[in-house]
Amino acid sequence: MERIIADSSALILLSKCSLLEVICDLFEVVVPTSVANEVASDDLVSKYPDAALIANLISKELIRTQNPGTARFQLPLSLHRGEEDGLRLALELGNAIFATDNGKAIRAAKFLNIPFIITPKMVVDLFRLERITFVNARQSIEKLGKIGRYSPEIIAESVLSLMEVKNGKAHNHKDP
Amino acid sequence: MAKPTTIRIPEDLLKEIDKLVQELQLDRSTYLREVLMKGFSLDKQDRLFKGYAAGELSMLEVCQKLSWSPWEFLSELKARNLHLNVELEDWLDAADLTG
Repeated sequence: MERIIADSSALILLSKCSLLEVICDLFEVVVPTSVANEVASDDLVSKYPDAALIANLISKELIRTQNPGTARFQLPLSLHRGEEDGLRLALELGNAIFATDNGKAIRAAKFLNIPFIITPKMVVDLFRLERITFVNARQSIEKLGKIGRYSPEIIAESVLSLMEVKNGKAHNHKDP
Repeated sequence: MAKPTTIRIPEDLLKEIDKLVQELQLDRSTYLREVLMKGFSLDKQDRLFKGYAAGELSMLEVCQKLSWSPWEFLSELKARNLHLNVELEDWLDAADLTG
């Protein structure tokens, strides 16, 4: 899959761990305009450097904005506008992963059978794909714990997965 | 416009409030109004964060009810030493970037 539909939580955490530009280089990143407004309005851009980064990527069309069509579907739970628009867009566009760090949006994605990904998993996958170094990946995961407020259990699991990938790579390099 | 309302409060608490407003030379009504506003704001936040932690509210739903941005929400999670409401099971169920 080469298309990522991101919600506000994923955009914020990817920018906070300095991986948003890497993701935008590798994948087609699409967000509804409601999400763009939630994280990178003019007011927010003047207050938060990471909001300015997101706005810049949107202006360069490295993050593409697109709104879902008018067709509605019944969600099993209530969500905010941007979160719902992201899910609807993922359903409509197909062949896309919904990137979110929001437990309630994840539950909705599971209900709708939309593949989803969380930011710590993206970090491990970027290392697996050799797009970032082990040191960068480790630092990003630490930031996701401290700044991104991921639980210690998920951070520990992420570090473990990262080590497994690293050891796997080392093992593969030893093979003739 | 401020509207009058009536509440019953314990006598001991009322005595303490009266003592404090006298000592600090405050207007009793103004003081009680400020305390009520401050307490209401904090209680609203507490209840919304409880709903978020229980997975009943999403990040943006909380933000909307508090007129906050998601950036402020994350800072507040840190201040309250709370975590995102993503479960370990979600990590295990997540897709791979490679599809």
